[in-house]
Formats: sequence, C-alpha cells, structure tokens
Amino acid sequence: MSKVKTHKVIGARSTRLAIIFSLFIILLSMQFGPYNQYQLANISTLLIAVLSITLLTGASGQISLGQGAIMAVGGYSSALLVTKLGFSMWIAFILAIFVSALFGLFLGLAAARLSGPYLAGTTLVMALAIPSIAIRFESIFGGDIGFTVDYGYPPNWLTNLIGEISIEEWSLYVVLPFAALALFAVLNLSNTRSGRTWRAVRDNEVAAALAGINIARTKVIAFVCASALAGLAGAIYGFRGLVGPSVYSTDLSLLLLTAAVIGGLRSIGGAIFGTFVIVFLPDLIERLTKALALPETISNYLPALLIGLLLLLTVIWNPRGSAGALEHIRHARHSRRH
Amino acid sequence: MDSFLSAFFSGTSQGAIYALVSLGLVLVWRGAGVVNFAQMGQAMFTTYIASQLIQNNYSYWSAFVIALVSGAILGAIVDLGLMRPLTSRKNSQLLNSQSMRTTIPVIASLGILGVLKALAGILWAGEERGFPSPVAANALTIGNTTLAITGFDLFVIGVVFLTLVLTTIFFTRTGMGLAMRASALNPEVTRLSGIRVGSVRTLSWAISGTASSLAGLLVTPKTNLSPNTLDLLLIVGFTAAVVGGLNSLAGSVLGGFIVGYVIAFVNVYSAPENVFLAILVFLLLALFIRPQGILGTKEVRRV
Repeated sequence: MSKVKTHKVIGARSTRLAIIFSLFIILLSMQFGPYNQYQLANISTLLIAVLSITLLTGASGQISLGQGAIMAVGGYSSALLVTKLGFSMWIAFILAIFVSALFGLFLGLAAARLSGPYLAGTTLVMALAIPSIAIRFESIFGGDIGFTVDYGYPPNWLTNLIGEISIEEWSLYVVLPFAALALFAVLNLSNTRSGRTWRAVRDNEVAAALAGINIARTKVIAFVCASALAGLAGAIYGFRGLVGPSVYSTDLSLLLLTAAVIGGLRSIGGAIFGTFVIVFLPDLIERLTKALALPETISNYLPALLIGLLLLLTVIWNPRGSAGALEHIRHARHSRRH
Repeated sequence: MDSFLSAFFSGTSQGAIYALVSLGLVLVWRGAGVVNFAQMGQAMFTTYIASQLIQNNYSYWSAFVIALVSGAILGAIVDLGLMRPLTSRKNSQLLNSQSMRTTIPVIASLGILGVLKALAGILWAGEERGFPSPVAANALTIGNTTLAITGFDLFVIGVVFLTLVLTTIFFTRTGMGLAMRASALNPEVTRLSGIRVGSVRTLSWAISGTASSLAGLLVTPKTNLSPNTLDLLLIVGFTAAVVGGLNSLAGSVLGGFIVGYVIAFVNVYSAPENVFLAILVFLLLALFIRPQGILGTKEVRRV
C-alpha cells in the first residue's frame, strides 16, 4: 500500500521537475537571439545523452566511453527511416529509441560480463568502429557524406498560434518535449525499485546477489535503458543538419562523459549543469579570446584544455561533481546552525 | 606469396610497436590497478618534444633519449600528482562503491589525455608534421631481389627486441624488478616484507611511460605526428593487452604481435577501412572465448 503511494508522489515530483525544466529553457530562450536559442536546443539534445550516462555510470556503475556510437545507431536509423522509407520525423525518432534499445540489449549482454576497465576499453573500441561501418557500407549508410536531414518547418497551426518563429526556435520546440520526457523517465527510474536495484549492484555486487538480485539481468536492463536514451539523443542530434560519421565522433563520447562527471555522476541536476558547461564554456572562451586577441592556436585548443582541467579537478577534489559540492555546502550550513 | 610476405613483415614490425604499447598498459594495470587511457597521449607529447629538439638541430639520438626520459618523468608525475591522491581518498563516498573504484581512475586518465592533447595543440599548433627515422625506409635488396621488408622495419624490430630482453632481465634478475612483480601479486605481503610499495608503483608508471614513449618514436615516422595520431595505437594496444592477458607481461607482448598480424593481414587481404571493425570483432571474440587472455590468470574476486 505504502509502496503504491510513494510511486504516485515520485511521479508527481518528476512531472513537476520536467515541466520546470522546460519552462526554464523556454523563458531563457525568450531572452536570447537565434544563436543562443540554437545553443539551448543543443543543450536539451545533449542533456538526453548525458542523462543516459547518469543512468548507466552514475546509477548502475557501468562505464561507457562509446555513448556517441549508440547515438550514431539512433541517428542513422532515424535518418534511414526518413530518407529511404519516407517516415515522418517524429515517428522516426520514436522508432530510433527502439532500435537503439535493441542494440543496447546486445551490447549489454556482452557488457554484463565485463568490469570497469574492460568495459571502458571495449566501448572505446566500439566508439571508433561503429562510425567506420558507415564508411565501409557506403551504399546503405552514405559513406563519409552521410545524410542531410533537418527538423523541417514549423507547422501552420503553430505559426497561427504564436506567430512566425525562426528555424532555431522551432528546433528548440522539437527538442524540448523529448528532453522533458527523458528527464521524467530518468527521475522515475532512479527513484523507484529498479533504480535502487541498480545502485545496490553498483555498490556491492556480492551483497546485491545475496539480497536476491539477478546481477547480470540488472546490468543488461540498465544498458538497454541508457541506450534507448542515447539513441533518441543521437536521432535528434543528427536532425540538426547531418547524420554522418564525423558527427558521432569519439570526442563527442568523451565530452558527454565529461559533462556527466563535472556536474556529478549521481545527480540529475548535475547532468543539466554539466551539459550547460560543455555547451556554453567554449562559447564564452571564444568570446574572451577574441576580446583579448589571442593567437588562433590558443583559442582553438583553450576550451578543450579548460574542460580537461575541470574534469581533472572534479575527479581529484570533488568526485561527486558540482551537485555533490552543493550538497556538501548545504550540509555544512545545516550542521552549523544546530 | 609476395603479399603474404609483406603482410608478415609489416605485421611483425607493427606488432612489435603494439607489443610496447600493450606492455605499457599491462605494467600500470599490474602495478596500480589502473588502465591508463592517457598513455598514448603521454607518448604523443614526448614525441612532440623530440620533434621540437630535432628542429632545434639536436641529433636524432639525443632527442630520442630525452624523449624516453621525459616519458618516464611524465609517467611518474601522473602517478604522484593524480592517481595516488585519487586512490588514497578512502573516505570518499564515491570510491566506497565497488564499481566506481575502477571507473574513477579511468575517467581521470581520460582527463589527462584531453589536457595533454590540448596542450600539444597550443604549444605546437596542432599541425601534422613528419617525424624522422634514423634508418631509410627503402625496401631492402639482396642482389636483384627486392625484399618485402624495409630497413626501418628491421630497426623497429631490433629496438623492440632489445627492449624486451632488457625488460625480461629487469624483471627476473634485479631486486627492483622482483619487488615490482611481488607487489603486483600481493601488495600487502610485499609491504610487510619491507618494500616501499608506493615507490614501486610510481616506478611502474615511469617504465610504462618510457615504453609508450618509445612506441611513439617508432610509429610516427610512418604515420606523421599530430595531437590525435596515437589514439588508434591505444585502442590497438588495449586489444593486444586483453588478448594476451591484462595481468601478464609476457602475454601482453604476445598479444601485441598477434594483433599486429591480424591488422596486417586484414590490410593486405581485405581493405584498410575494415581494420576498425576487425579490431572490434577480434576484441569481442577474445573477451567471449578467453576473457582472462591467453597467458592471463583468472582474477580472484575479493569479498
């Protein structure tokens, strides 16, 4: 009885948070011009992928350096559905979720046998190998060039309702419902029975097994859920303009992991913060280097340098990320008062 | 027959380089329980140092030696500056989690990789540049027949062979080498018998840094040098280490040569664009058939 009750409460809470996030992004987008609206759409897209790492690494303790490859699976399947089979973009996005979940199932079956560094290395090899499939089977996947796809134009009913909107604003409206949905799903997953099971396996496999948890099954389920999210993110990410091997690079995989770690691997708020950092920090630095008229070699590599340093500092001094630091401060203030 | 011979020889010389990379990975894994994904980033950095020295009119061999030494220093810095503080934080909530204890160092090494690449980009403009070899890369000829092997290939095989002999002597005949093997086997007992396990650990980082730095010097004459060129080598080295056994030094060398031949034969008999896929398939097969590697032993899970 009490269990049913908690489920309801949690459902309400995650709905609320998903709506708050969407409203926040929309309010933010109203303050900005098209360029920053595009950035916000980017953030919402990448957030879905970062959330997949929050689930996979943060909650279930499996590391993946190849989320970009799973994004590629989602991207290519949706692009093929739209360009070759004439599906609508929306249906293609939904189907991409299922295709990448299926891919995640196979991957998870292999991954459940691997621990820590083995899994990291194998997923890294995968991150390099999957995009090369696109080049190898050029007739199906379009080789180096890939597919040019986009979000299309806003439908008439929307422009009648709120007036003419820019392509950038439209892209934000396409992405946002999916990001809200992903937030809702992840919040629910991590606060319910399955989330608790994942954390038990993450922290101590032997103890979890003794408590009657099927370790392998739990790990595979986590992989499937995370892959579904990553695939969705990949589909939306590709429809910004191009689905091709260069879009889903190893660098993207590592950047997503960095975002999750900087924000805090175990926190959903941290995932949001980390995604903001990786998207806006390079922009900020570029503006700064232009203002200071620094040479091009520095401005090209400074964002990567700072993000790398940020990752190192986080790992050394504050492995729980900015979300952990915030909690720490709150805790300290609380205990001082008493 | 010709294509077979050329695949065989290029497999041997490339395999020798992969063996070095894989040896470096296994050294740190045994010594510190970390798979160092920054390893070839360190090698890229030291190769750039050598390249800079050669541009400033130093001789090849002095640049060669300085690169090896800086490889050792860089390895020691990574251990002392990052990995040791990281794992000594016993009370950290995150590190109390079983799976995170192996995951966090992996993430840290990726951070180092990112920083080193960006630094190399800033310092050396990220341009692709060539790197000299001390031996001409022409095919050797005996009388009128052209052999499928170049002088440079022979040089690579010779240098790696010498390194492997020295490494074997180090691990079987010297006190320090025995101490390293002991602490890889059982750090607690080794500490009790009076060996400084911490220094041994740093030494394994340093030796690994030197080995991978050597690999960088040997591979770049063929591939050119840029901040990203050595990424692939890490992937291949990792596959080699897993195939041979992540906790076996001899296995890592064997794995390096096996993967070298696999890649060379795929290159010659199939197509170069199949290499990535071949590596992935080979790695997955190895993990399914013999997850502990050819010469590795099954890990005992500590409860």
